Amino acid sequence: MIEVKNLYKSFGENDVLKGLYLTVEERKATVVIGRSGIGKSVLLRCISGLLRPDSGEIFIDGDDITKASRAKLLKIRSKIGMLFQEGALFDSLTVFENVAFPLAYHQLYSEVEIERKVMKYLEIVEMEKFVDAYPGELSGGMRRKVAIARAMILEPKYLFYDEPTSGLDPYSSAVVEIMIKKLQSELNITSLIVTHDIELTRFIADYIALLENGKITAMESRDMAFTEDSLVYEHFIKRRERIRAENGY
Amino acid sequence: MPVKKNEAANEWLYAGKSIIFMYGSFSYWLFKDMFPYRQLGEQFIRTMLEGFATIMVGAVVQGLFLAWLGGYYGDRFGAYIWIGTATTFSIFRETSVLMAGILFAARVGTAFTVEIGSMSMSGQLDALRLMAVEPTQHIVIPRVLASVITLPILKAFSDGLAIFSTMVFLKMWFGVSFPIFLEHAFEFLKPSIITLSLIKAGIMGFFVALNACGLGYYFTGGAVELGKTTTKSTVINFLYVMIIDLIFGIIVELTGWGTV
Ligand SMILES: Nc1ncnc2c1ncn2[C@@H]1O[C@H](COP(=O)(O)OP(=O)(O)O)[C@@H](O)[C@H]1O
Ligand SMILES: [Mg+2]
Repeated sequence: MIEVKNLYKSFGENDVLKGLYLTVEERKATVVIGRSGIGKSVLLRCISGLLRPDSGEIFIDGDDITKASRAKLLKIRSKIGMLFQEGALFDSLTVFENVAFPLAYHQLYSEVEIERKVMKYLEIVEMEKFVDAYPGELSGGMRRKVAIARAMILEPKYLFYDEPTSGLDPYSSAVVEIMIKKLQSELNITSLIVTHDIELTRFIADYIALLENGKITAMESRDMAFTEDSLVYEHFIKRRERIRAENGY
Repeated sequence: MPVKKNEAANEWLYAGKSIIFMYGSFSYWLFKDMFPYRQLGEQFIRTMLEGFATIMVGAVVQGLFLAWLGGYYGDRFGAYIWIGTATTFSIFRETSVLMAGILFAARVGTAFTVEIGSMSMSGQLDALRLMAVEPTQHIVIPRVLASVITLPILKAFSDGLAIFSTMVFLKMWFGVSFPIFLEHAFEFLKPSIITLSLIKAGIMGFFVALNACGLGYYFTGGAVELGKTTTKSTVINFLYVMIIDLIFGIIVELTGWGTV
């Protein structure tokens, strides 16, 4: 379980996170929604230990990563896989090398074993035909799928997704969504997804948290969130209608 | 958008900090567990290929101006027999290494800044960290060490080509034959001059690469900022090359290692 308590993070004058609380339940998909620039990526980077918060606590299975030594941090991080915004595949490596990278670098397995594992995960994301392609030759959706395979290869307990469908057409979005759902149900992953894609949220979320003004202002189960009187609904769906109405449309 | 005065100052301050932090990070990670041999090999080949053509063109340009200057003064003072001495001496001691250093900074250094900066921008450095791979170790150290080896080698090629092209142009323009040029060309050249200039090239390679990598490594922002950072990489490294050259000049004078 992940518990974030009273998290603060600012960049100079720009206070991004201002006393944020969040709980991520095991084997569930928690979706944090919020508009662009609100601090969704900053939150993920704090939780994965890539960014040190100014204050607050982040417990991952009971260990506070904000106070962990480097060795401890590496150990906690090994439980985490992350799909970065746009995928963040290594441009100079092929699809196969990208996915094999964490295994090969740490020399955890024999070559035969690595190949077997890489192919297994590339098959899960249906990218096994593109082993020799470079990321530059793939579409946005394909890159996202390869990045999911790379995030999965170390078999993490937690998988974080930073806007997994942003910039994708509806068809590619659907394919990526299904991939996330499949991992969720078949491999029992605990997922934390940040996005502003309301369709994605509706499809995969077990819990929905609303990030506003540096805080989580509402946390609701999916069944609740999409009813008329929920906070998430109010802020994310009705707001659009209200803004339209205000402008006379 | 008007540029605020202290905004530019802050950018330079940040660039300075990036470089200092990189010196720290580099020294820390250099002696930690895994040494990236394979990446070092890859970067050696890459820096050689990237730097070669540019630095060789630089060598020919040196030949052009040394031949012109040498020929002109040789003509005026009737001192043709000393042209070879003067040009080889200046090539080995100063011009070749200066030219190679500056061109290396422009060609390879800026490439490092852009490459690592865009890796940072697209999250690739974070992806490495999350896989428990330290980017300084995996990305920076191989580039820096490769440059320490590459620049002296390219400088040595540059020496040869610069001398050869000086000879060719002198013959073309002033009719100075090869034997006349070569008669006294290497007379005063001490091994210590050559050794020192090679060491100087290695040190230039080291700092050029390290500065360029540091600027990319700590880079934040978008495409516009990356452009500005790349400009800073070029300017800072040109200055470094000049200053390293100056410091060596002083050492050489004080110790007498490189003087005739
Ligand atoms: N490394 C950084 N340095 C300075 N400001 C940053 C940095 N990372 C993010 N920010 C700022 O934090 C805010 C939130 O950014 P981000 O988390 O990327 O938003 P999003 O919700 O779109 O993912 C933005 O105003 C951004 O400018
Ligand atoms: Mg973001």
